[in-house]
Amino acid sequence: MPIIEVEHLMKDFMIAKRETGFLGAVKSLVKREHIKKEAVKDISFSIGEGEMVGYIGPNGAGKSTTIKMLTGILVPSSGSVTVNGIIPYENRQENAKNIGVVFGQRTQLWWDLHTIESFELLKEIYQVSGKRYKENMDTFTEILGLDEFLNTPVRQLSLGQRMRADIAASLLHDPPILFLDEPTIGLDVIAKEKMRTFIKGINNERKITVILTTHDMEDIEKLCERMILIDHGQKVYDGEIAVVKERFGKTRTLIVDLEESSHSLQLKGGEVFKEEASRFWIRFNRDEVSASELISQITETHNIKDLTVEEPAIESIISRIYQEGYQELTETVKI
Amino acid sequence: MFRFRLYWTFTKKAFLRSAVYRFDVWSRLGSNLIFLLMWGSIWTALFAGREEAGGVSFESMLTYIVVSQFLSGVNGAGTPLWEIQEKVRTGDISLKLMRPFDVPLRYLFADFGSVAFYILTALLPLYTVMFIFMDLTLPSSWETWALFIVSAFTGFLIRYCIEMSFGLLSFFLVETGGIVDVFYFAMSLLSGSVIPLWFFPGWLERMALYLPFQGIYYIPNAVFIGRISGIEILLSLSVQLFWAAASYLLLRFVWKCASQKVVVQGG
Ligand SMILES: Nc1ncnc2c1ncn2[C@@H]1O[C@H](COP(=O)(O)OP(=O)(O)OP(=O)(O)O)[C@@H](O)[C@H]1O
Ligand SMILES: [Mg+2]
Repeated sequence: MPIIEVEHLMKDFMIAKRETGFLGAVKSLVKREHIKKEAVKDISFSIGEGEMVGYIGPNGAGKSTTIKMLTGILVPSSGSVTVNGIIPYENRQENAKNIGVVFGQRTQLWWDLHTIESFELLKEIYQVSGKRYKENMDTFTEILGLDEFLNTPVRQLSLGQRMRADIAASLLHDPPILFLDEPTIGLDVIAKEKMRTFIKGINNERKITVILTTHDMEDIEKLCERMILIDHGQKVYDGEIAVVKERFGKTRTLIVDLEESSHSLQLKGGEVFKEEASRFWIRFNRDEVSASELISQITETHNIKDLTVEEPAIESIISRIYQEGYQELTETVKI
Repeated sequence: MFRFRLYWTFTKKAFLRSAVYRFDVWSRLGSNLIFLLMWGSIWTALFAGREEAGGVSFESMLTYIVVSQFLSGVNGAGTPLWEIQEKVRTGDISLKLMRPFDVPLRYLFADFGSVAFYILTALLPLYTVMFIFMDLTLPSSWETWALFIVSAFTGFLIRYCIEMSFGLLSFFLVETGGIVDVFYFAMSLLSGSVIPLWFFPGWLERMALYLPFQGIYYIPNAVFIGRISGIEILLSLSVQLFWAAASYLLLRFVWKCASQKVVVQGG
């Protein structure tokens, strides 16, 4: 039984068109024209209890819009959503009790309250028992180091502190489902790592179902087994990350700096896909040719100043997929 | 099921929060006094030494103005129209849709808190002093006092529902300047807050009597200064209750439409 089910979900935004010139201004007085922006068009997926799924895609893909429909904030233009058996936008208050939400871009806490007061207010709002509140606060304080800023007004928190406060706040009422929209945005390397450990922990220990959007593929790599990739409001991949890595991970990139610039670097088994002055990016499949073979091919005609071989981190796989389109991906794995 | 304890939390929070923004209280009280002085002098000039006009004594008229400014202080201590519009524009209200409470009620109860703070710390002391030192009409019986309080509270509810409904219209309109003007026009003139309805030309008085705004200033004030009495009071209170129910239904309707139309910028 999936805990989240989304079918043929769509969301259009009507954007008022700005008319230019005098006639345009007069015209828009009478009738304003609207442009339809399809933020999400026909997305379907289902997520099982306890899963942690990475929901990724380039800027403007429709990730946040989907999350807002799952939380009940936005009403879909068409299609259906069920979250823990509830249709979020029809039964917002019931849905609210089942979900925790963090929007990395804006805090849910009260700007002018002290952090601890925000937590106490949430305790009342969600009617968390005193005992449970204390248990949760103790756990979160220990892992996230909340005590360092509990008595600071929220508006004075640093980004990292605010994010820690926000995620703790989203979990106070023990929701079975957690939506994280860019929970690591703007955090430093160590803070990111701590955040990941925390998310991993609550998913493991509390069996909380998590949907996570991010632009940091390391988040995905470290946290999720499954990812849903969307672009232009449509799903382009839904499956195991390992499969993508296996399929695309065979590709390596050799970057060489030559002593002199050259316009003709023809290599057997390698493909130059980018060049800048005397630097060349060469893509090759490690099953077909080895890096040392390529290097010796180059040194026959050129002098190499410097070189690196790039590992295919999911990061580069995804950025390659963003750049080159999804054809290969859809061929590889049937959605 | 109405979870009183939950909403009461917002009342308490808002009460305490007001204590932090003390400057707000003082500046609001200052402008309240200025308006009181202004309308007091205007009406003194209009009476021009006469003891009575429009069937009302000068003393009652002055009382009317004072009570009116008191009520204006009470109503003005809630979330103002521009702030509701601001909350709509920034998406604050929309994001509250993922919380387990009813949004219009949540703001109403928060307003109870800030208004209570303002009444207790500023309005009550000031207006008590005013009633002691000025020649003003006081209700003669405790029943009238009680009816005045009920009427003023009902008026507050009517004002809240209407102001909130107008504020939520920002969900549908890009430009709201006209809406704001209509609101403030109705609030200041048609409510009888600065000119009692009995001074209106016949057609305007009839119009005002068919609208909800009289319930905010005119009716409680008419009760207070004894312009209406006995069965008339009960009649006026029923009219008020009718408008309270109607404006609440309006608010629910606007809120329902708005929450279907919600957009949140950014993210
Ligand atoms: N309130 C709105 N009004 C009009 N268009 C909107 C609105 N919200 C989002 N959009 C548009 O819908 C599309 C999807 O936006 P969304 O915020 O879901 O993207 P995203 O995947 O979260 O992107 P990012 O990674 O940049 O956060 C974008 O083209 C955006 O401009
Ligand atoms: Mg986003």
